[in-house]
Amino acid sequence: MDDHVIGVLSNIGVVSFVALSAYLLLLTGEISFGQQAFFAIGAYGAGVATALWGWPLAAALAWGAAIGGAVAMLVGMPTLRLHGLYFAVATLAFAEMVRILFELFRYQVSIDGELVGPNGGEGFRNIRYVFDHNIDAFQFLLLIYLLLAAALLGFVLLERSRLGVIFRMIGEDETLAGLQGISVVRHRVLAAGIAGSLAGIGGGLYAHLTTYVEPRIFDVMLGVHSLAYGLIGGLGTALGPLLGVVIDIGLLESIRALAGYRMIIFGGFVALLLIVRPRGLLDETTVHRLGRGWRQIFPWPRRPNLNRRGNNA
Amino acid sequence: MIDLIQNTIDGVMIGSSYGLLALGFTLIFGVMRRLDLAYGPSIMIGAYFGTILYLHYGAGPFAVAIAVVIGAAIAGIYVERLCFAPMKAGAAIASMVSSFAIWMQLEQAALLVLPRHTYPFPPLSTGAPLAFGPFLVRIDHLIMLVSTLGLTAVVHLTLHRTRFGLALRAIIGNPVAAHLVGIDVRRAVLVAFAGASSVGGAAGFLVLAVDQQVTPMFGMWATMKGLIAMMIGGLGSVPGAVVGGVLLGIVEAHSQWYFGPQIRDLVAYFLLFAFLVVRPRGLLGCPPDSVLPQKA
Amino acid sequence: MRSATYALTVAVLTLWRPENGCAQVRAKADISCRPAVEKLQYDCIINLANSRSGEPLSGLTLTVGADMPSMPTAHNVRPVKATEDEDKGTYRARITLEMHGDWALRLDLSGTVRDRVIKVLRFGSDRVDEAPLARTPARHRH
Repeated sequence: MDDHVIGVLSNIGVVSFVALSAYLLLLTGEISFGQQAFFAIGAYGAGVATALWGWPLAAALAWGAAIGGAVAMLVGMPTLRLHGLYFAVATLAFAEMVRILFELFRYQVSIDGELVGPNGGEGFRNIRYVFDHNIDAFQFLLLIYLLLAAALLGFVLLERSRLGVIFRMIGEDETLAGLQGISVVRHRVLAAGIAGSLAGIGGGLYAHLTTYVEPRIFDVMLGVHSLAYGLIGGLGTALGPLLGVVIDIGLLESIRALAGYRMIIFGGFVALLLIVRPRGLLDETTVHRLGRGWRQIFPWPRRPNLNRRGNNA
Repeated sequence: MIDLIQNTIDGVMIGSSYGLLALGFTLIFGVMRRLDLAYGPSIMIGAYFGTILYLHYGAGPFAVAIAVVIGAAIAGIYVERLCFAPMKAGAAIASMVSSFAIWMQLEQAALLVLPRHTYPFPPLSTGAPLAFGPFLVRIDHLIMLVSTLGLTAVVHLTLHRTRFGLALRAIIGNPVAAHLVGIDVRRAVLVAFAGASSVGGAAGFLVLAVDQQVTPMFGMWATMKGLIAMMIGGLGSVPGAVVGGVLLGIVEAHSQWYFGPQIRDLVAYFLLFAFLVVRPRGLLGCPPDSVLPQKA
Repeated sequence: MRSATYALTVAVLTLWRPENGCAQVRAKADISCRPAVEKLQYDCIINLANSRSGEPLSGLTLTVGADMPSMPTAHNVRPVKATEDEDKGTYRARITLEMHGDWALRLDLSGTVRDRVIKVLRFGSDRVDEAPLARTPARHRH
């Protein structure tokens, strides 16, 4: 496969993680402009683990996900009382704080006579794990998509599980959900943690993909983009954010002739799309209709058809 | 001690421009109940009109100011028509994301027309700073402060002494009821948007004239400062916008003096975060539940 | 079912140990770029050397790509293959960027040495400089 194509597909894969992260929070009814903070934490965390502490990649990625999730839960708690716009702006403020903190963060270790590590505004260079261990671009691409597939599988299972129903209930109406006996607090913090870990994994992958991260990358643009992907692709399914990422990066690739006008076209396209489909291309109604159509062609696996007494009809 | 007061004076001056930025923002939020992420970039479009006028026709500050205001208003109308007017009631997120898409569109359009990193802006005044005892006050800062107070007064009078202002306050209070009593809500909102963008344009002109340059980063910067000042002061509150702006300016001036520009930005965001967690209504705003509609 | 999936993923990741390359050759690069004839086109001269011994690295396949640090995947500069000069270790490439500003050039080396070097440069209309680090602008004081 052409190196360039591998690169583009890798980018799509990595960005999908942040998109899924924002999407999960949207399911619980909260708009977050700040998932890029956990992407950054995952990137720096995993990078430090492999480049400075010599950890294997799997452990480093897990570490990135873990601190991403932990910080997300820590932030989720004081913002519990906030909703809608207030929550969104709070996440934005938090993400910017994280970015500035990374501009000030210096942690360098001398390895083989060279200083390696995050160096404030200069960024974190030489995250060379893939080169030192002879992982070629295609193998890394497979890793990214393996993890992405696992995440998607997780979402599919989530949608069918009680937890997924609870998340959507909280998203629809928190008060009613609470009245049903659901601990809204615990589930919102849980959602924040899972979303943070997702973004953290993506960040770790990104750091190793590009071998170089700097704080500027993790700015508001990335955050709003991740949210936008879900909105464009559709909020009815986890494939929606992925579709959004593919459309954005795919459009980027195909409109090369109009490279300088890409944002103008894309911006206009998104604005028009959102007028017609405010919940994205694959919104809940569409997914439901597609599901019905699919089940007419392939009647199984069938969800249990229960009659009013709760017995199998 | 002298530093403390000098910094506070500087902070108040700069803060007044933040307040003006927040004023436009809060007006838009008040009537739409949605955040317009393309606010800063619309002002930047106006600013680019202004700088073209200055660069190619050597216009003076007053003409440039008019150009900036008109440019911002046009851009604001464009945003309103595309991102907010066609959206149904429940699509607040879609509106915000749409305004973000237009933000990117406007930024790229601006960069295509004027690709360099910085463009000059006419200065407000070339005189030496005035001295009040040991304290120095720049004349252009003074002009900025006076203009801010003047514009705020104009906005306040419009809101409270004209029929249009009454209609706006009705819409801010309860859009459905306003519609029921015969107010043409859509037209009023459009005019309010144009007005708010014009105020933003004026604020942008003042800031850029003091800085004497405009860069492509200005759009994002203006949106962020306006947002922070607006939320600190209280969403939807006109006096809150100005107070929030001034407070932000003072805090920033002190932080920069003692700790440098990065800590200054860190403190600004921390201030915003702290307010949201502890007192989301801001200094002068109404509690969140009464501000936001029940479903976003 | 879910935990089984995650357990499987973790198992695959921990057991998968790619070969441990020791003492890989690392490259260092000197890059200088000049604006070329057309707008937003730049000619770059790159000197590749072994970062430890300093001897020039020749016969490699060098691909030059670029990305903007402030918008990581938002731009699309088609990576170009560099051609090697008669001077061993000196490569030339002509890149076309999408706009002026700070770009992180990505030099991907393959062949006998596999490595990647990243260098951030500020591309202007008439010159190319090292990108300055101080990016937070201070407000004017008197």
